[in-house]
Amino acid sequence: MLRLYFRLIGARIRGQMQYKVSFFTELVVHMLWTGIEFATVAILFTRFPSLLGWTIAEVALLYGMTSVAFSIVEMVGRGFDAPFETMMAQGAFDGVLSRPLPSFFQILASEFQLRRLGRTAQGIAVLGYAFSRLSIDWSLAKVAVLVLALGSGMVIYLGLFVIGATICFWTIKTPEVINAFTFGGNQLVSYPLGIYNRALRTVFLWIVPVAFVNYPAALVVLERTDPYGLPPAVAWAAPLVAAVFFGVALRVWHFGTTKYQSTGS
Amino acid sequence: MRLYYEIARRSFRRAAAYRSAYLFGLLTNAFFGALITYMWRALYASGGGVAGWTVEDAVSYAWTTQSLISIGGGWLGYEIMGTIKTGEVVTDLSRPWNFWGYWLSRTLGERLYNLLMRASLTYVVGMVLFGARIPTPGDALAFLVAMTLAAVVSFGFSFIVNLTSFWLVDASGIMGFANILMMFFSGFLLPLAFFPPALQAVASVLPFQAITSIPAQVWLGKVEGDALVRALALQVFWVVTLAAVGLVVLRQAMRKVVIQGG
Repeated sequence: MLRLYFRLIGARIRGQMQYKVSFFTELVVHMLWTGIEFATVAILFTRFPSLLGWTIAEVALLYGMTSVAFSIVEMVGRGFDAPFETMMAQGAFDGVLSRPLPSFFQILASEFQLRRLGRTAQGIAVLGYAFSRLSIDWSLAKVAVLVLALGSGMVIYLGLFVIGATICFWTIKTPEVINAFTFGGNQLVSYPLGIYNRALRTVFLWIVPVAFVNYPAALVVLERTDPYGLPPAVAWAAPLVAAVFFGVALRVWHFGTTKYQSTGS
Repeated sequence: MRLYYEIARRSFRRAAAYRSAYLFGLLTNAFFGALITYMWRALYASGGGVAGWTVEDAVSYAWTTQSLISIGGGWLGYEIMGTIKTGEVVTDLSRPWNFWGYWLSRTLGERLYNLLMRASLTYVVGMVLFGARIPTPGDALAFLVAMTLAAVVSFGFSFIVNLTSFWLVDASGIMGFANILMMFFSGFLLPLAFFPPALQAVASVLPFQAITSIPAQVWLGKVEGDALVRALALQVFWVVTLAAVGLVVLRQAMRKVVIQGG
């Protein structure tokens, strides 16, 4: 199945490379989109000394981590976004169901947006800035907790895209509100979780656990404490949280496919 | 004139047909408004800021810009580009109306609906839950004028960018660049007062401040008296300039129009 996946994705990439100018323009556009996002943060820090005690380099660590994880999922998982919506509207999901492969796999392999790497590159640059400015007392545990957070964050973001797509089985269109969790979640966790109220924190830590992409791990790496008393050690639970969330997303997906009623003529 | 009024009216009604989409859209705008509110509060809590901007100003500004998204403050429309790509544009061009006027009426009709339903309710959420400011009647009235002009400026810019797809098969790259410029220099992400002086200077010669920064500041009561007259005059200047450029570009496009599709 993995080999099949790479063959399908390879074909997508070759297809995108046929339009080289378009491809590179979009790559740069994606880099600039997130570029102005971080420029905004940088401008704010020229006017304010800190964000509730967090310096710009510390915020850059949060920003860079979620940006890298989110952009990679956008690259890999966009099959569950707009293309899936079109597929639903045209009734093309019938074809998916008739093929002898899991529907989840087919949708995942149906799209691969290499141009999102522009955003990844920008995220990596911001991470590079963060690491160069922070004096972190590195240890194996700190490296491990960062890597775990990034991996878990990607799984959680992918789960969110899957849930967004599943709503289509009932509504045909993905409601815009899922953006509040994907893009909104990504923006929310670009800043330290300590600045939000309890309700937002609870939602983004324990219901849609996007915050696990960076915040607990950053507490460990930066040796900071959370104003609400979240123990930094929960960072080690990130893979478990991600697995549970993704498991739920998959169950929801399978439930959705059994409720699928075709559209189209 | 009656024709354009009818186009706008139909566009208004078309927008009204997607009520649940608007509700969800409103929730999304309000969510982002809340995020930005918390960011401002945390920034101001640790001291610093810009002369003349209290935390209440910054929060109210954020809710104003979130409300203005749905009336053209945040994103460029892609509809005209879509019709050029499919070749549908040829029907619209051959009809007995001015193509620019047709799209302007369509856009304004939809935006009026967005203003009444989505923008106003988004701002109410900000007022009730986050203390976004209630303007004086005078400021609100001035805002209605500034916002109408802003909608036409935003359309005028969007029209020109969309028309590049007469020359380029894939104009989405250009649209992306244009949108980034607009979002940054209109003061959508951040009030222009917070920009470093060099960037403020750049913003002041671009049309984008007429789209978000001016109406939002009028709403907050930061532009009154002579300053208000100057701000509105600047908006009128950009309305006229962008309309003129748009019509010239349209004429050029007509000379070399190549319709795709069949």
